[in-house]
Amino acid sequence: MDLLEYQAKELFQAMGIPVLPSQCISQPQDLKGLKIPYPVVLKSQVRRGGRGKAGGVRFAENTIDAIAAAQTIFNLPIMGDYPDIILAEAKYDADREFYLAVVLDTSLRRPVLLGSQEGGMNAEATFSQVQRVIVDQDFSPFYARRLAIKMGLKGKLIASVSTVVQKMYKLFLQEDLDLVEINPLGVSVNGDVMALDGKVTVNDTALNRHPHLTTLTARLAPARSLPPVLEPAIRLELGGAIGIICNGTGLTLATLDLLYQAKGKAGSCLNLGGDAQADWGAAPLAADGEDAHLPTVGMQSQLAEALALLSQEPHLRVILIHLVSGTLDGTALIDTIATYLKRQERLPRSHGLPALVIRLLGPSHAATLAALATLEGDTAIAAQPTSGDKVPIFCYDTLTEAIAQAIHLAKTNRAEKANRTPKAAKASQKSPTL
Amino acid sequence: MKFNPQSQVIVQGILEPLGQIYAPQMKAYGTNVVAGISPAGERSEWHGIPIFDLVEQAIAVNGSVDTTVILTPPYQVLDAALEALAVGIRQIIILSQGVPPMDMVRLLRRAEALETLIVGPNSPGLIVPGQVLLGTHPPAFYRPGPVGLLSRSGTLTYAVAQELTQAGLGQSIALGIGGNPLVGSSFSQWLQILDEDDQTEVIVLVGELGTDQEEMAADYIAEAIDTPVIAYIAGQSLPTLPLPSQALLPPQHRIMPFSLTAESAVDFGTPARKVAAFKQAKIPVAQSPAQVPELVKKALKQKRT
Repeated sequence: MDLLEYQAKELFQAMGIPVLPSQCISQPQDLKGLKIPYPVVLKSQVRRGGRGKAGGVRFAENTIDAIAAAQTIFNLPIMGDYPDIILAEAKYDADREFYLAVVLDTSLRRPVLLGSQEGGMNAEATFSQVQRVIVDQDFSPFYARRLAIKMGLKGKLIASVSTVVQKMYKLFLQEDLDLVEINPLGVSVNGDVMALDGKVTVNDTALNRHPHLTTLTARLAPARSLPPVLEPAIRLELGGAIGIICNGTGLTLATLDLLYQAKGKAGSCLNLGGDAQADWGAAPLAADGEDAHLPTVGMQSQLAEALALLSQEPHLRVILIHLVSGTLDGTALIDTIATYLKRQERLPRSHGLPALVIRLLGPSHAATLAALATLEGDTAIAAQPTSGDKVPIFCYDTLTEAIAQAIHLAKTNRAEKANRTPKAAKASQKSPTL
Repeated sequence: MKFNPQSQVIVQGILEPLGQIYAPQMKAYGTNVVAGISPAGERSEWHGIPIFDLVEQAIAVNGSVDTTVILTPPYQVLDAALEALAVGIRQIIILSQGVPPMDMVRLLRRAEALETLIVGPNSPGLIVPGQVLLGTHPPAFYRPGPVGLLSRSGTLTYAVAQELTQAGLGQSIALGIGGNPLVGSSFSQWLQILDEDDQTEVIVLVGELGTDQEEMAADYIAEAIDTPVIAYIAGQSLPTLPLPSQALLPPQHRIMPFSLTAESAVDFGTPARKVAAFKQAKIPVAQSPAQVPELVKKALKQKRT
């Protein structure tokens, strides 16, 4: 997750990287209490590039100018994002502007130091000229000096730039970051350096061990749209009539591929996550001698949440459930789906419920599928909202058949009675184009 | 590479939720699980597997250990792996999801110096059907046979294995290198191992969105691999989906290698780029998991005649 510039600069300052005096403004009136002497720069705090070119950075000589500029910036979207905060910062006369970054290169599996004398707004255009130094072993300051030399720096600048790079690396390591970037690093006529703009990307997997960063990102994160149990899931909104619930990224992608190859259209798509995730906070195991049952892992609670979520989407006509796991618990799965159907029965609703098409692969999945096929909810179905009919459930042991049936159901005309006889299921099996 | 029913295996994090389930499963499959490690746990055994506080205590009792399977919570993985390295274990399989990438950088620096094999993290581990299970692969989907199956996925790997098995094509080994952008062993490393393996007659490589593992593998196959390779890339329909492909990935997958120029970064990680790389290397690409067996049979037939 990208931090905002002012947050990045708070981290820079704590690390001893030189930054200008600045103040956060959340409404134009705040500028009346500005403690920084004019002239100042006002900068829109959005997590998007191209802010300068879009007019999100303005200079002001006095309070009246500043308030007018702030009003403009608060009303100026940068690639669709409006700022909540403007950073007011002292103006700096840079003679030259450099580009510096520390990033993790996932192919090399090492952090890399990047630097160029061509910084500022042109950095992207001159990206190919950026020098890089791979930190292949434990970091030591010589890596930073090596970068400064490769950048073509001389004399005093070698020391001042490499000192900044060292501190950037320290920040990168200490906070588990994916990226620390200073662009531009202002260089004054007499060779002093100043981080004029900065970008910090925190690593989401490491975030929980950095409470300080968590408080920063809490201010950024959009309101959670998923219940906590579904947090690891990937949610897609694709606009079609077939909802998908799947476990694992690769499997979700493969399922989407087959659906599209068969000319189907996916609606919401939820990935419950693969086998390698666990509820690490689960209760510890009892001591020796006490009953030692295997824990039930799994997807049951996530599946229940996912179903509840998708059932609220009026445009979905089918939910395709595709689960593959060696720890698939058939009994629990049947319970989950039966509970879902019962609960839906009791809820008042404005639209019909989507039909369920299920493909499972796991221990004794055939028996589970057979049991599931006998479940039917006493609720209005998507195709016929007022009939008081049952939610049809279709079970298959191949994905091809399941997808063909899902597409068939999605196509069924609203006015037409949903056809859920075995004959209809059979007829639809010949359609997939693989 | 030493993966057989005789080689000694420990499970670090055996009393964590996933360890409780998978350690007994591995043992039941015939894996020689000699010990589990769970620091300061209250149990001395789990389903017949003795539990120790330290890896060195397990070694003192059982002698040297060939492989460790790590199932600790993600922030404890680095420590567990460093402990295994310190006592001379040279095959480390990390199944846990959510290991911070800089922990992996630290671990890989050490592991490379000690010539230690690291599989994962966020991996289903590996199975040598009929012999040994070191991970979460559901044994029922696998049979011994001539196909080496390499993948970046977990559940999709199982599904592909099941297709192969159903078509009468068993596997010499099936392995997931891990779904994170930054993992230990690469596709290329395993291609080399399987190319030299007598049991493996054909290799199936299952890729997915993200990283450039597949592209590097395609180059390597064209250059150095004699065994026929079949590829399947999940996410090939993406160009037709009304969304940027990055939106499909969990945030931790969105790290890009910055060695790329801005220009080539545009389609980095896309299935289209991977498919193009395989086509250029003249490697057949399956359209679906169900099509994999068909292409494998074709390759085997060509090879055997």
